[in-house]
Amino acid sequence: MSTATATSNARVPAAVERPGSHQQAEVTRLLPTWLLVVVIAAIALFVLLPLTYIFLASINSDISVARGDFWPAVFTPDNYANIWSSVGLANGLTNSIIVAGSTALVSAALSIGTAYVLVRYQFFGRLTIMRGLLALQSVPGTLLVLPVFVLFSSSATYLGIQVIGTRWGLFITYLTFALPFSTWVMVTYLRGLPRELEEAARIDGASSFGILTKIILPLSWPGIIVSGIFAFLLGWNDVLFASVMTNPESQTAAVALQIFATSTEGGAIPYYGQMMASALVCAAPVVFLYLFFQKYLVGGLTAGGVK
Amino acid sequence: MTTASNPASESRRAARTARRASGPAFAVGPDVTPDGTTAETVPAIAAGVDTPAGRGRGPSERNRPLWMLIPGGLLMVIVIIVPLLLGIYMSLLDLDQYTLRQWIEAPFIAFANYVEAVTSTNLFHGVWLSVSYSFISTIIAMPIGIAAAVATQNAFKGRAVVRSVFLIPYVLPSFVVATVWRTMFQPGGIVEHGFKFFGADPGLFLNGPNTYWTLIFVQIWASWPFIYLLALAGLQSVDHEVHEASALDGALWWTKLRYVVFPYLKGPVSLAFIIGMLNHINNFTLPFVLFGIPAPHDVELLPVLTYVTSFQSFRFGLSAAMAVVSLILIAIPLFVYLRAVKLDDAETPGGRK
Repeated sequence: MSTATATSNARVPAAVERPGSHQQAEVTRLLPTWLLVVVIAAIALFVLLPLTYIFLASINSDISVARGDFWPAVFTPDNYANIWSSVGLANGLTNSIIVAGSTALVSAALSIGTAYVLVRYQFFGRLTIMRGLLALQSVPGTLLVLPVFVLFSSSATYLGIQVIGTRWGLFITYLTFALPFSTWVMVTYLRGLPRELEEAARIDGASSFGILTKIILPLSWPGIIVSGIFAFLLGWNDVLFASVMTNPESQTAAVALQIFATSTEGGAIPYYGQMMASALVCAAPVVFLYLFFQKYLVGGLTAGGVK
Repeated sequence: MTTASNPASESRRAARTARRASGPAFAVGPDVTPDGTTAETVPAIAAGVDTPAGRGRGPSERNRPLWMLIPGGLLMVIVIIVPLLLGIYMSLLDLDQYTLRQWIEAPFIAFANYVEAVTSTNLFHGVWLSVSYSFISTIIAMPIGIAAAVATQNAFKGRAVVRSVFLIPYVLPSFVVATVWRTMFQPGGIVEHGFKFFGADPGLFLNGPNTYWTLIFVQIWASWPFIYLLALAGLQSVDHEVHEASALDGALWWTKLRYVVFPYLKGPVSLAFIIGMLNHINNFTLPFVLFGIPAPHDVELLPVLTYVTSFQSFRFGLSAAMAVVSLILIAIPLFVYLRAVKLDDAETPGGRK
């Protein structure tokens, strides 16, 4: 895995010559076998036990879940059928996919240009911008949600453009919060590209934009995928902004699940089975994305550093 | 991602740097602007990079496509910087549900919101909870992450699967994690059953004093893989020769870990600690979905308190003041983070521009 070197280089003093893959296992071994087995088994249990239970609960009856049974009293796929009408999950998932998907595409497209300029050109305020990219990721959402809400409402009052309650409002918000992170991921990626190709193209008379689209873009797919996926996850995972800025038509899957969970708990026995089933359905796209692009994502996680 | 330890490209870079250094003929031209020098020079020297060699030559300062910064920059100004300033301004206004519509005309009351936040709300309680919960959950997650990294460092059959499984809690969306744990922690639910199986009566998890530890537990479950990832990155930087040397010395596994391997982890794991703190202090989704609104007193963290003050009590000005406090709160770990992170590629002088 060469994925993690972006971070490790920063803090480990020596540039490391990594030996080939044919390491002598005994020399590099860190733990005795018995301890290795114990550690892995313990942590795997810690992770998998809750996950197994969630799955079992999602095919169980509500009463059995409420009783605290681990093994389902009945095995039924009904929960997975019912959530589409009761939770409003279909609508929520559609909104989530549209908003998060377009956020991913646009933020990846914008971030590559920004990152390219930041990496390859020198100009006044460049390092300030790079610091700003990192700092902006840490601005608390709770500080921004009200002013963003007020600004968007004002646009309806003063400009006649309705933003609150539409998918556009969420899209613009997520895009902006995704940009600092996506750009940072692209910056760390583009740094690793050799400059020779660009220099050759420049001698041949290519413009900066031409170099970006014809040379950099084809080489940057791994970085683009990572920055796009992170933008997607940001939109997919958000509850704070979505809970304030959506109405029933434009609510995302996260908000639909949250509202369903709070409303069902007022009843005698909450619809636990459906809750678990919808939670798994909401998690599925993210987990599949991750498993599919795991190789790139792990490096991106450590390079960007912020979820 | 970036593989910097490629000898071939390294030597090319060196050659290019030398070429630049020996070619001052290109240096002075009417189109070379002296901008950015002050901003650039100081960190360059700190990083031990020979800046003059790389500056002022080559195409990088001509035809700079700075317009590419405009779309992203404009958005960030409109949706982050402007609201940030607006939020700070709102914290000085007497803003509630009656004055919100004409917020520009809302009465200016200077620091009265801050005074009220300090004297008659749970602000300090929230700050203390946020900081202590972030600290405890990050600290406890560290040994788990490091142990997992050490255990999966050496190749064995099925390691790829184990690594994927270890990362699942981290990639699950926060709202999913919170929803499923909320169900498991219900009174009479599976967790309570587990405790009773061992003869313990833990009481309620989602109400009362246990909530604080419930939150910490779920936070650890969801975020330890991040420490694991960075620890893994640190382990991969351990030199093969180091392994050989400690094997020659006949070091036992524990001595080797303690004195040889762990020092390599210090940097990455400290970074993970800072980022973990930043993320947890700002975490709104997990407590919000796990406990609902209004939150139990023992998990009334600062983000939740801010949210409730805005969207339940409609005291928008007061809430903005609390949010500004949280901004100050994260400034400390953020400052450390910005100092620690590598802004520029110190190993590639040519890439500095």
